[in-house]
Amino acid sequence: MKRDFRGGAFLAAAGVAAASPVQGAEANASVDEWIKCLKSTDQGVNTAACQSAPEVGAAAVKPLAGLLADSDFELARRAKRAFYRIVRHAGRPGAAAEALAVETELVALLAGGPVQPRRDLLWMLSEIGTGRAVAPVAVLLMDNELREDARCALTRMPSPEAAGALKTAFARVPEDFKYALAESLRIRGQEVEGYPSRKLVPSAQTTVKPIVPKNN
Amino acid sequence: MLAASLSLKIRMADEPSATSNATGVIELPKLRVASNTSSRITRRHFLQSSALAIGALNFAPAGVLGAPGSPGANARFVVAHIGVGGMGMTHLANMLRFQKEDKVRIAAVCDADDNRLEAAVENAGPGVVPYRDYRYILERKDIDAVLIATPDHWHAVQTVHACQTGKHVYVEKPASVTVRDGQAMVSAARANKVAVQVGAQARTAKGAWYTCRAIRNGIVGKVSRVTCWHYANPVDEKPVPDSPPPDGLDWDLWLGPLPWRPHNPRYQPANFRWFLESGGGQIRDRGAHQFSTVLWCMDADRQTSFTVEATGKPPGKGLWDCPVEMKVVYQFRNPDWTLEWAQPGDKVGQTEFGNVFWGANGHLVLEWEGGYKPANPEAINFKLPPGGQEVYRTDEYEDFNMNHKADWFKSIREGHMRPAVDIEIGHRTATLCNLGNLSYILGRKLVWDGDQQAVIGDEQANRLLSKPQRYPYVL
Repeated sequence: MKRDFRGGAFLAAAGVAAASPVQGAEANASVDEWIKCLKSTDQGVNTAACQSAPEVGAAAVKPLAGLLADSDFELARRAKRAFYRIVRHAGRPGAAAEALAVETELVALLAGGPVQPRRDLLWMLSEIGTGRAVAPVAVLLMDNELREDARCALTRMPSPEAAGALKTAFARVPEDFKYALAESLRIRGQEVEGYPSRKLVPSAQTTVKPIVPKNN
Repeated sequence: MLAASLSLKIRMADEPSATSNATGVIELPKLRVASNTSSRITRRHFLQSSALAIGALNFAPAGVLGAPGSPGANARFVVAHIGVGGMGMTHLANMLRFQKEDKVRIAAVCDADDNRLEAAVENAGPGVVPYRDYRYILERKDIDAVLIATPDHWHAVQTVHACQTGKHVYVEKPASVTVRDGQAMVSAARANKVAVQVGAQARTAKGAWYTCRAIRNGIVGKVSRVTCWHYANPVDEKPVPDSPPPDGLDWDLWLGPLPWRPHNPRYQPANFRWFLESGGGQIRDRGAHQFSTVLWCMDADRQTSFTVEATGKPPGKGLWDCPVEMKVVYQFRNPDWTLEWAQPGDKVGQTEFGNVFWGANGHLVLEWEGGYKPANPEAINFKLPPGGQEVYRTDEYEDFNMNHKADWFKSIREGHMRPAVDIEIGHRTATLCNLGNLSYILGRKLVWDGDQQAVIGDEQANRLLSKPQRYPYVL
């Protein structure tokens, strides 16, 4: 039987008032049911589940993260979309508690796992992350594969802790990454000695040759 | 000869896909040429008589015309092309015509895809230097101006860099993919005193001109509502997994400022249009044309504050994330009017997209954006009332793609550096598109303060006004 996830029907069916915290076994059942629908091969069902992600909220973050690198690439994409819907709903004005709950779940996922999903998590945190998220994000400035996304996330996060973390990391990161960090620090209004921007330094070479004029 | 044959075989990124043949190659549309040439107003006269002139005259460097390092009235511009795919090849065809008329010299072409680059070199002819990395072009002191037709996520970075190295810029629409990128483009143009023309070429086309002067002079009375209809965004019906980039494509350079991710065939060559982070869908692709024309007709370039509320239907599958269907409502104040974007919306005219101006005394339809399609006959036959408001028009070429570039060159020669779709106008148009998409992804109404360039009371929305760029592809 197809479930209708529109208009809060999903949580209502689970006996939970929409937009109120879902707790305990009831919450787990609700999330499990929702994930099952997201995994459905019925496009109507899985699309409705994706759209209803904000109703599930922070409780869906951990199980969704497990799907971001799923071998079914369409499921992985759907999970990412659902994820973003949760983050963007939680970030709305006047919903600080929801945003904090989602932020907390996201931060907990940063420590390990496949690289590409963690890149996505960093970008999600760039949208709603507060000073609480700064330290776990800043740790990834030392990770060769994630440091650039971590730098971008910290550049976007407006908290002073983010600027502070960039400055602290500047002294510790490898030389080749200092140029990028210097860029972030300048964006954040801090002065940096040396490490001029490399934005205008060309590098990539083509193998295409010009047509030589016939008289040459 | 080369230009003529090329013009018949180039891809047109601006054309609706429905008009493409199986190979993606289409013919350039035939332009309707209207005979009414009365009541013309020159760009210089227009600038002097408009509020824009205040800024223009303040920013125009003294003695630009014929000054050292600046092209004189009869000088040939040395130009380079950055991005030679779909629309880039149209620009190349245009420049070949200018070159034939001894108005420009094409010095270089550039693309992240060697296959496209090779085709461009072949079309451009002997002596034109190919580059993969546009920054080699910016290093060349002999090049005066660049034409940028790369994927949208590159527009701001390349425009800012070109301005900072003293090049004049013609950049494809939409000007930018974020509000902050657009602001940076305006600042870079002003700080470096160069002309940046955005390729929303309807403002130098006759269809939009007839409509603009008719609307501004009351053909339907006071306009309280403008509706835009457009066909939907496509759905990727046959999703594919990530795979290595094709031979010749520099994937890292193609991504440029975007966060790194594996290559997928659904990103390029032209599919970047269907990603919110890059092309932004129909509202940012065609909307940049339609909104530009609407703002012109409504004389609303300076009406920068509004509310925006978007709803949409996301795709059910595939990598693309632009909403398939979408409705966006913008509410302007003082004067009050509403702008509605709807895909598909209510199709009023005969063509696949267009605009309707709803006034106190009736309505006027403008199909497409006023470039490729002629104006409504009522607008063409409209007689300017005594004391009526004339609007800028340039008729150097019948082909409005040529006209738009001629207008750009003219702004450089005349020294005012304010072409018809100056970057500030392009930025404001793109802001409409970008905030429409932002309202959609956030799922809420946004209140935009144009003076402060900020969303009122929404921190997340304000964070999303910019997107940190992957180093070293930064503003």
